[in-house]
Amino acid sequence: MKKHFNEIKTIAHRVLLEQFRLRRSIIFWIVFPTLMLLIFGLIYAGGGRTSSSFDTTAPGILIGAALFFSCMGGPVSLVVAERERRTLRRLLLSPLSPSSYFLGIFLAYLVIAIGQAIIVYGIAFLFGGRFHGSLLLGILVVSLSVFSFVGMGFFFGAKLSKRTEDVNGPIAAFGVPLLVLGGTFFSTAILPPFLLKITYLNPIFHMNQALARVSALGEGVIEIRTHLIFLFAFTLVSLLLGIHSYRLMLAMEKKG
Amino acid sequence: MIDLKNIKKSFGEKEVLNGLSFSIVAGEIYGLLGPNGAGKTTAINILCNLLDADSGDVMLNNQKISESTKYAMGIVPQEISVYKDLTCIENLQFFAELFGIPADARGKRIDELIRIFSLEEYAHTEVKKLSGGWQRRINIAVALVHSPSVLILDEPTAGLDVEARHELWRLIKSLQSQGIAIMLTTHQLDEAERLCSRIGIIYQGRITAEGALDELRTNIPAKQLAVIETGDETTLCQKAAAFGWEHRYYAGRLTFFLPRESTLKEIINKFDGIPIRSMSLQPVGLEHVYLDITRDRQITP
Repeated sequence: MKKHFNEIKTIAHRVLLEQFRLRRSIIFWIVFPTLMLLIFGLIYAGGGRTSSSFDTTAPGILIGAALFFSCMGGPVSLVVAERERRTLRRLLLSPLSPSSYFLGIFLAYLVIAIGQAIIVYGIAFLFGGRFHGSLLLGILVVSLSVFSFVGMGFFFGAKLSKRTEDVNGPIAAFGVPLLVLGGTFFSTAILPPFLLKITYLNPIFHMNQALARVSALGEGVIEIRTHLIFLFAFTLVSLLLGIHSYRLMLAMEKKG
Repeated sequence: MIDLKNIKKSFGEKEVLNGLSFSIVAGEIYGLLGPNGAGKTTAINILCNLLDADSGDVMLNNQKISESTKYAMGIVPQEISVYKDLTCIENLQFFAELFGIPADARGKRIDELIRIFSLEEYAHTEVKKLSGGWQRRINIAVALVHSPSVLILDEPTAGLDVEARHELWRLIKSLQSQGIAIMLTTHQLDEAERLCSRIGIIYQGRITAEGALDELRTNIPAKQLAVIETGDETTLCQKAAAFGWEHRYYAGRLTFFLPRESTLKEIINKFDGIPIRSMSLQPVGLEHVYLDITRDRQITP
């Protein structure tokens, strides 16, 4: 147990060190959601009071514009880089367990996600927006979302992105449609019924709904239980997907 | 220390290793040489427990290799496979933590490696900012962070300038003196000649010659080699055959095996009447043994 904890901490520390040293990604992961929040917050305010528009816009922007790109795009790049610079081989030759590797990356991106959440809600706060529900429940939803994004990122990185040039392909092809159908930038109420049915299977929809209802409407666990159950289930799937993807990468590495 | 016994490995129909056997003892540098595709990488992967052999055994200190033997092995891949955005110290710390080295011992070991590899000046420099030679050092240092008893170096000096190569050779020798069993693969035969206590030449999936350099030289039935350039190779070869001298083409150059050491004058006299453009006498080297074994040669044109 202690071994796993140390491994998770070591991986998370390394990922964070690299990210903060590179700076570029961190800056973009701050600039993009900030701009999106300002644009959508002001659009939905329609020239009137911004407090309610920033209340409703902040959760979607945090999930869709911040966490989506950092916590899903980040792991895709990380996994591909690990393979390209042959550090994956080093990890393979070390006693590191696949679950520690996945959880270490999750922990690193959770730290980044918390930073992004502080920035997004900080800006929303300046425009009169507020977090109306339980902060702990909000953190739980964000954590489950990060977990799911990291799992998907792992899968895309291991299975669909062979080289650095391929990193954006799967995110654009599969991620962005999920983002749009998840009600990130507009309400899912405008979706035609058949798309609405599909979107109930979309994890981003449940992330958006859960966070929006806690944050903007102040709802509790009982009210958002359907979304929470889905997110818990998807988190488990993501963990298995992540570990499977790591094993897949190792098998590819062994083949040379 | 480490023994590979009759290892066989095929990928589909392709037989890559065909009864590969060799052993390395503590404090020895064993050079595994062979052309591309001979099975070196597969052998390394099996040795590191990355790949399962179809049959045969890999033993480390008389025990079959397993997950736990990872702690006894250090592997230096050919590519610089460290985190280039991290500093040398950060890389060492990262891998030391992965190997579960306790904090107090970790600091000591990292200091020791920094000293051994003369990395003091660059300890806090990001690896990407270092030259190729220094990057190679940290690449090796990282593999030693858990104090392995076996070190595998895959072409450790590939792409380095002469000065950096010599410096790395010195470092590898110093590791040998610490009692580490070292296996290295290289395409640079001068490197193998300088470093290795024993050399194994792998060809078509098995060791076709093995021993110290002097032992390997006995594979060539000659005390000396005469490399001759002439306009009439046929006559020259016929005459040499009459003396009982075998010949080979090494890198396209006609070379005769001399049964005893001779002078240039003696050779010229023997080939009196045949126009000779140039001639040189050479000792038998690893290159000749290697080329002879790997059949990269042509017999009479």
